[in-house]
Amino acid sequence: MLQALIDGILLGGVYGVIATGLSLVFGVLGVVNFAHAEFLMLGMYVAWFAWRWLGLDPLLGSVLSFVIVFAVGYVVQRTLIERVLKAPPAAQVFLTVGLLIAIENAALMVFGSEFRSVSVPYQVQGYRLGDIFIGAPYLYAFAAAVILAAALWLFLERSWTGRAIRAVAQDAMAATLVGVDTKRTYGLAFGLGVALTAFGGAVILPYITVSPTVGGQFVVLMFTVVVLGGLGSVAGALAGGIMVGVVQSMSTLIFPIQLQNLCLFVIFIAVLALRPQGLIKGA
Amino acid sequence: MRTLFTPSRAALLIFFVAAALLPFFVDPRGHLLRVAAMVLLFAAMAQSWNIVGGLANQISLGHAGFFGLGAYTSTLLFLKLGISPWIGMFAGAVVAGGAAVLLSIPTFRLKGHYFALATLAFAEVLRVIANSWADFTGGPVGLSIPFMGSQPAYFAFRAVSSYYWVILGLLAAVCLAFHLLASGALGYRLRAVRENENAAEVAGVNTFRVKLIASVISAALTAICGTVFAQFTFFFDPDSIFSLAGLSVRMAMIAIVGGLGTLGGPILGALFLIPLEETANAFLSSKAAGLSQFVFGVILIAAILIQPRGLMAWWPKPRRRRAEASRPAVAAPAAKGA
Amino acid sequence: MTAVLQAEGVSVTFGGLKAVDGVSFTLNAGEIVGLIGPNGAGKTTLFNALVGLQPLTSGAVRLGGETISGLKPHKVAAKGMTKTFQNAALFPDMSVLENVTTAALLRHDLKGARIKAERVLDTLGLGPIADADVQDLTFPQKALVEMARALATEPRVLLLDEVMAALTPSEMDEVMKVIRTLRDEGLALLVVEHHMRAIMALCDRLLAVNFGRLLAQGRPSEVAADPQVIEAYLGHGAAGQEGAHA
Ligand SMILES: Nc1ncnc2c1ncn2[C@@H]1O[C@H](COP(=O)(O)OP(=O)(O)O)[C@@H](O)[C@H]1O
Ligand SMILES: [Mg+2]
Repeated sequence: MLQALIDGILLGGVYGVIATGLSLVFGVLGVVNFAHAEFLMLGMYVAWFAWRWLGLDPLLGSVLSFVIVFAVGYVVQRTLIERVLKAPPAAQVFLTVGLLIAIENAALMVFGSEFRSVSVPYQVQGYRLGDIFIGAPYLYAFAAAVILAAALWLFLERSWTGRAIRAVAQDAMAATLVGVDTKRTYGLAFGLGVALTAFGGAVILPYITVSPTVGGQFVVLMFTVVVLGGLGSVAGALAGGIMVGVVQSMSTLIFPIQLQNLCLFVIFIAVLALRPQGLIKGA
Repeated sequence: MRTLFTPSRAALLIFFVAAALLPFFVDPRGHLLRVAAMVLLFAAMAQSWNIVGGLANQISLGHAGFFGLGAYTSTLLFLKLGISPWIGMFAGAVVAGGAAVLLSIPTFRLKGHYFALATLAFAEVLRVIANSWADFTGGPVGLSIPFMGSQPAYFAFRAVSSYYWVILGLLAAVCLAFHLLASGALGYRLRAVRENENAAEVAGVNTFRVKLIASVISAALTAICGTVFAQFTFFFDPDSIFSLAGLSVRMAMIAIVGGLGTLGGPILGALFLIPLEETANAFLSSKAAGLSQFVFGVILIAAILIQPRGLMAWWPKPRRRRAEASRPAVAAPAAKGA
Repeated sequence: MTAVLQAEGVSVTFGGLKAVDGVSFTLNAGEIVGLIGPNGAGKTTLFNALVGLQPLTSGAVRLGGETISGLKPHKVAAKGMTKTFQNAALFPDMSVLENVTTAALLRHDLKGARIKAERVLDTLGLGPIADADVQDLTFPQKALVEMARALATEPRVLLLDEVMAALTPSEMDEVMKVIRTLRDEGLALLVVEHHMRAIMALCDRLLAVNFGRLLAQGRPSEVAADPQVIEAYLGHGAAGQEGAHA
């Protein structure tokens, strides 16, 4: 029980960072990015190749993932997303769904369909505290997630760009008036959003294998986290991530493994129906 | 009295006549006719989706759920109880309609993105259930419909052309349903809901009921398509029948590429996209896995960016009844002509 | 006279803001009542509360003696009360006739609704633009179509939210004529308007609100002379608080 709780928190911290990116994109651009999980997949591949070719541990490779996916995201936003920002939701939904399909299959073409995993020395190590066993890869991934979350917080609070992003999220018109370049800020926010998720993908590489379809495993999870925390709320996404992690690892105690996701879906629909503004925000 | 033959209606009529005659001109067992049948079936699915997505502007990403319910209901009724799929087809429609009601109650307050997310989750839930409840659904392996030769009473034919005509009839029925809905009182109300929900309410439209009716009809028709698909292909599994990209998105995409909320849109969209995909598959799938799907995604992106109103936007607009507008102009004070 | 609409202590709160604060009044059949107050006073919110678009925080609304607060707007419309929207909220992809027909469907089948809609358009002088796209209309035309759509639901009580904004004086006179005709047919009208000239000429009674509260009600000349109302409009003593100028 306590074991499951701790496993859940460790998983959930990473989910939080992964979903924070999605929430940030919605909060700033007002677009639900259905392709978001594909950037997680890209982040995992970058980290995998960094491990394979450069011998970088995925925990370090994650920085590379962050940077590269940030650049990809910036370009995608400026060339594609930018053009539907004022379009009706249908256009936004289907543009990002098209992106999802395109990225996933581009990955299939480039990387092939095989599952790839890394091997790191700490993969099967862990720490024992009485009855509790804490797997090293889970602990390190969690630690990396916490560090990144703290860095994100500092960035949004302290840096000029971070404050510009928050200003645009609150009122794009007013932000323009005080001299913020909104277009560029949208690009940065989108890049940052997908980069956070890519980072999250990289740090879980020691315990999750990557394939072009790995995004599919995370789509609903990510949206559940974000909806729990309130779409657009960064802090909410972190808290939502931990909740989902805990629910997921607790539910393995009760349900067979295949039904784990079902549990998530049910929570997801229930939250959408009852509190679309999110459970955590303003609760 | 309005003219009976607008260019649009003439085009539709020509389409249906040409489609009905096609089996006489191509190899009745050939690949071409199968592709043509798929075009018609996807047009029917997209038209069903169009009732909710186009008329009510509720962007559903979960219609594969209704499609799969139709396929599973009729197939399970046949395999377990020997009930003819013709009957199972309507049972599936009822099940899907019921599911639509259940789904609507919690989700109709949701708008745009939220609704899309909730419907997406709905189809995923069904996919997970179908995969894990193996005793009943056959699990991940899927269900096969045994080959029985020609048994018209059990929706089994030898010739592809027979299935083809059934599908064409289905498309005609779905298009008729769409037309009646769109041009009738419900159509007015649905468009009002689509364009301004609050204003519609204040003007006396029961927005919840209107959306519910549209949703149930759409779900039931989609389920019927699911049964027909199952009979036509003899086999399906949970991942393909509840597929997000393969079905939910594709149905919507055909309607959008053709022209959201228009009668001709889904037909145009299917005529354009399905053969394109077939060709891409035939030529590209040998080149690299994923290439044809990649092209599919790129087309979707391009379609949204180039012409979000779809192919129908280039179709000449139907003239409004200008003739009636010249009725005696009663004292026109504030309104100084258009 | 019979009170057709009764508002009893109607309040609406947004977060901490009391947009409408314990407003009570009655409206009689065959009467035009003006609702005045500076921008942000809560007039539109009160309208929304009356027709069921905005849930009440407390209070009750009765229509013909029957409690209607808590009902959805379409139910309220069916019982005989509807409103126009301040920023014309027409259905943009529909023609003028289709806009009005949609509302007429409340009490007619499609064929009857079209006939009803055409009749309403004609009474407002909108017949010639019946087939126009509403997107092509001028602002005053949109306001009139709003009115036509509301009238097509055949209300007993009609709430008009600034339909005369942006009208020229002669257009205003025409609309006022229409409003008077409606009153003479027995409709009860509650009218939000900023043009004092129109208000004074049109209304049988006035309600003045500010900061969500009813400041005064009574004969137009009395209310216009009420020191509190003058202060609300001129902003004396309301320094630092927003929305104090009309
Ligand atoms: N949906 C809302 N949420 C929060 N505050 C609102 C909302 N609608 C109106 N308000 C606030 O309520 C007050 C009254 O607004 P309104 O009724 O539009 O005034 P009026 O129509 O008299 O100009 C204003 O302070 C306005 O900002
Ligand atoms: Mg107002």
